[in-house]
Amino acid sequence: MTTDGQSGPIRLLDLGSLPPLRSQTIFHAVGYAMGEGSPDTIMLVSPDAPYVSIGRHQDADREVDLGTCARLGFPVIRREIGGGAVYLDGNQLFTQWIFDAARLPATVEARFALYCDTLVQTYRGLGIAAEYRPVNDIQVAGRKIGGTGAARMDRAEVVVGSLMFDFDVDTMAQVLKVPSEKFRDKVHQTLAEYMTTMRRELGAPPPRETVVARYIAACSEALGRPIEPGALRPDEVALAERLDERFASADWLHEAGGLRRHGVRIHEDVRVAEGAHKAPGGLIRAIVVVREDHIDGIAFSGDFTVEPSTVPVELGEALIGSTLGEADLLARVKGYCQRVQVEAPGVEPGDWVAAVMKATAVELPA
Amino acid sequence: MTQVRGCELPEELYYWIEKHVWVRDEGDDVLTVGITDPAQQLAARVVAVTVKKVGKVLERGQSVATVESGKWVGPVPMPVNGEVIAVNEALATDPTLVNSDPYGTGWIARIKATVWSVQRPELVTGAHGVHEYGAYLESEGISCG
Repeated sequence: MTTDGQSGPIRLLDLGSLPPLRSQTIFHAVGYAMGEGSPDTIMLVSPDAPYVSIGRHQDADREVDLGTCARLGFPVIRREIGGGAVYLDGNQLFTQWIFDAARLPATVEARFALYCDTLVQTYRGLGIAAEYRPVNDIQVAGRKIGGTGAARMDRAEVVVGSLMFDFDVDTMAQVLKVPSEKFRDKVHQTLAEYMTTMRRELGAPPPRETVVARYIAACSEALGRPIEPGALRPDEVALAERLDERFASADWLHEAGGLRRHGVRIHEDVRVAEGAHKAPGGLIRAIVVVREDHIDGIAFSGDFTVEPSTVPVELGEALIGSTLGEADLLARVKGYCQRVQVEAPGVEPGDWVAAVMKATAVELPA
Repeated sequence: MTQVRGCELPEELYYWIEKHVWVRDEGDDVLTVGITDPAQQLAARVVAVTVKKVGKVLERGQSVATVESGKWVGPVPMPVNGEVIAVNEALATDPTLVNSDPYGTGWIARIKATVWSVQRPELVTGAHGVHEYGAYLESEGISCG
């Protein structure tokens, strides 16, 4: 689709592999360097080493285990795109659109629909039953394949995402800052369950050239415009060099955050969160996986005393499928306690529910 | 309040239409700046706002704040040259004020304009300004609600 009769061919910048910092700064540079008459650009790039990317307003110290990243030699780089912290490496091919705002749809929803469709068509061409899940998720049988984001950079509207050849769930779970190791296990388990890649779907990822060819064809079709290989302009490279300096600075990394989300979002419908409630009989901690506003899994722990010892696990199982409503949760806890002779001094059914509610409550950004 | 395509557009404000920024003249070259109803509609639920620090001197078009919604990050451009003299601290704890009350408690920054009388004509205002804004919304297919 085009919204402007002046649109010519789209410039394709296939940059291969770049160092982590440049893999981020280059699309910002092309965005900010866009002037009147600059071409719209589709950029393809992978990092040549692993790193962690954090969202525009995230607080690095709060979201990322900076010690682990330092130990593993991963740079942590703030991007001017929203969303959450993510581990990235050479197994993702970033697909970045840097377009004059006049030549993309005006609403972010419509831009994502167009952008995600090209990724969906690419995956489908490779034999993966990908589906677009508005606003900006792509899923295969309920599992997310890659993330997307968007930003305005002067006159450019930028939409970014990736083609997922493979994804290192173990390392992703390691680099996030989490309240406990138990929580980390839950994040790991949920990532493994709710994320997918070309490797997972196909057994082995297809060659890069095959994927790129399909992607370019899908973009040309969706945008109704020719796509021609091009090169970076000297002013874009010069701006990228300046941005390298800024993006590598401690000031930029530790710029005050502001964005707070409760728990870790795995995809549009799935998140992992933790809550704790102090009952007279002890502290109850609940790590909860929420899927489409229902309980998908719960792990209870704490310093309460309960007999039989199977209660925390069984009670968690009894709550799977519950809505997040207090009444529904309480009915299920009471039902379980009636079936099983639960002895838990100082812990009432309402206390278990309170711990779950603490985890699942929507927290206002602070 | 005037409504165009479902969007609130108060006539007493000044607008930089293409950037969806509003300005309220507080007198003595002091201006309050925010994003318009169509802008908050386009951005959807705002999750974070960062504003440049008080004392920062900026030119028209430079970013005075960055707004992040669930899916998009965008700048709030300075409508005229000036110095930031106050920022809306309430946005740090509740950025959704930008959505619920874009012209009131969701204001973003207060600035002291350098050359307000010179740059004022670059913005539109009054019934005519709202009409022009409405025409722009129509051409872009933007509506609120």
